[in-house]
Amino acid sequence: MPKVKSGIFFFGLSLLILWESLRLGLGVSTEPGPGFMSFCTGAILAVLSLAFVYSGWGVRMTAPPHARRVILAMAAVFVYSLVLDYLGFIIATFLLVALLFHLGESRRWWAVIAMSALVTFLGYYFFGTLLHVFFPRGLFGF
Amino acid sequence: MEALQSLAYGFGIFFQPVNLLYCFLGVLMGTLVGVLPGLGPAAALSLLLPTIYHVPPVSAIIMLFGICYGTAYGGSTTSILVNIPGEISSVVTCFDGYQMAKQGRAGPALGIAAFGSFIAGTFGVVGLMLFAPMLANFALRFGPPEFFSLAVMSLTFVIFIGRGDVLSGLMMACLGLVMSTAGMDRFTSQPRFTFGIPALLDGFELVFVAMGVFGLSEIFVNLGQAVKRETIDTKIKNLLPSRRDWKDSAKPIARGTLIGFFLGIIPGVGAAIPTFLSYAVEKKFSRYPEKFGTGVIEGVAGPESANNAAYSGTFIPMLSLGIPTNISTSIILGALMILGLQPGPLLISSKPELFWGVVASMYVGNVMLVVLNLPLIGLWVQILKVPYSILYVLIVLFCEIGAYSVNNNVSDVLLMNIFGVAGYFMKRYEFEGAPLVLALVLGPMFENSLRRSLIISDGSAAVFFTRPISAVFLALALAFMISPLFTRKRIGREALEIEEQD
Repeated sequence: MPKVKSGIFFFGLSLLILWESLRLGLGVSTEPGPGFMSFCTGAILAVLSLAFVYSGWGVRMTAPPHARRVILAMAAVFVYSLVLDYLGFIIATFLLVALLFHLGESRRWWAVIAMSALVTFLGYYFFGTLLHVFFPRGLFGF
Repeated sequence: MEALQSLAYGFGIFFQPVNLLYCFLGVLMGTLVGVLPGLGPAAALSLLLPTIYHVPPVSAIIMLFGICYGTAYGGSTTSILVNIPGEISSVVTCFDGYQMAKQGRAGPALGIAAFGSFIAGTFGVVGLMLFAPMLANFALRFGPPEFFSLAVMSLTFVIFIGRGDVLSGLMMACLGLVMSTAGMDRFTSQPRFTFGIPALLDGFELVFVAMGVFGLSEIFVNLGQAVKRETIDTKIKNLLPSRRDWKDSAKPIARGTLIGFFLGIIPGVGAAIPTFLSYAVEKKFSRYPEKFGTGVIEGVAGPESANNAAYSGTFIPMLSLGIPTNISTSIILGALMILGLQPGPLLISSKPELFWGVVASMYVGNVMLVVLNLPLIGLWVQILKVPYSILYVLIVLFCEIGAYSVNNNVSDVLLMNIFGVAGYFMKRYEFEGAPLVLALVLGPMFENSLRRSLIISDGSAAVFFTRPISAVFLALALAFMISPLFTRKRIGREALEIEEQD
């Protein structure tokens, strides 16, 4: 029941919004406070979420399974954003691109390495050298 | 006369080499994105948003506009040659365009699509030039209550005309409004929804949200699907339509242009619905409606013209009122804010170089697009043959570098990736991204005008209903909300259901 799960998720989120809005202060009607609008929209979101849960109750719907390569690609970009500062642009980008090329289509390992090296070099040259983006150098200094 | 003088001024701005260059880059990128299946104008605008930080404001906006109307041209190429629409507003072109290509008439189909687009695009710019300043003058009477009601109406239209479920659309809009309050409160400078994270002190920046929700998530979705492409592999000849083709297409182009332009002005309609309506109208007017879908040129000429004229129509409320009518204009509006420009009725008078420079660029941009799309059609066909498994890697990398380059900050990359994953799940569970981003863009105006109105009226909400213009906007919003009770379907749904059936 994906609708019920999504509805519960948004209901939880709306409670968090309401809690934070109350903490910020609602003000008075003649001078609304910083939490006024978020409180109103949070309250509407809570009601809508419950209606969403109700509309999906008892409806059996199975979403198609996530493709393995989608999960891996999502994990790869997350890990990339976490290690970019430590490994530096060149190493982190090479590893990301190599994994993505591998996920896209099965290729020979040397082709993946060659293509990844080329794309990393072009990315660095175009953005780093020509457009002066200051990429992180990382632990290895490049 | 005044408009012509202003236009001459606009051409003076536009013919500066830097603006010409960015216009060319914009239409080139737009065509490229239009040609590539799976990437729409919203994704293209989001992906290129980081570049505007390094470009003069007028050039940046000229480029973004170029991307927007460039996609309308490029989208027809894939529809005709591959039977895969480059974007939703090109879906209808598949019906007859691909059939024409299969019969060896890809040339005339591409030709009439380009010429129809050119005629409609040029008419649309004339309309934009005439109507936008008029509307902006009218909007000078607006106060906070009118702007609040206008924002409510725009959001309602987008949710109710949109493709998704109304309930989930409303939920997304609420979430977008809450997200827009994150960061420093404009009235009290109190940090809101930051949860102690310094990166959130500036709020959720549109650039990262849009890149994630429309750019990166699109890649994840496409990666999970096997995209099958069968390109028509014949030599494309006779790109210039014959006299007979012109005779058959003249009226559909005229009707499509009018339908597209006037529907495009309405918030939420965008460019897709006019194409379906134009197709339906042409079928109705035709002496041989049964032949539609088998490769008639009217089925290409009308929708392609409607598509292009609609883009110009969508720019009118955006430039004159500061109200985005669809996702592409939301992103451009966000770009104006990023560049420190204040969208609204005063934009045209306070920044004439921007408005008239953009208008002039659209005239020349349309000519550039005809040149790009007809003599260079072979180049686009070759690009269609690049495997997606290579293309997607380049797009992901472009997203990552683009997000990093905005502030040279890795946490921005992380934020964009979070929204990319969120966007993937939103698509999977059928939550539309458009209301979320539109609400995020409209949020500051929404909140400011709401709070100001309540301060002005001594806390009375009656101010929204007693001022006539505000009351009209709210009445229109209400009419849209309750329309399903009186009609079997929501307004605009019929057209989209044709697409789902096909």
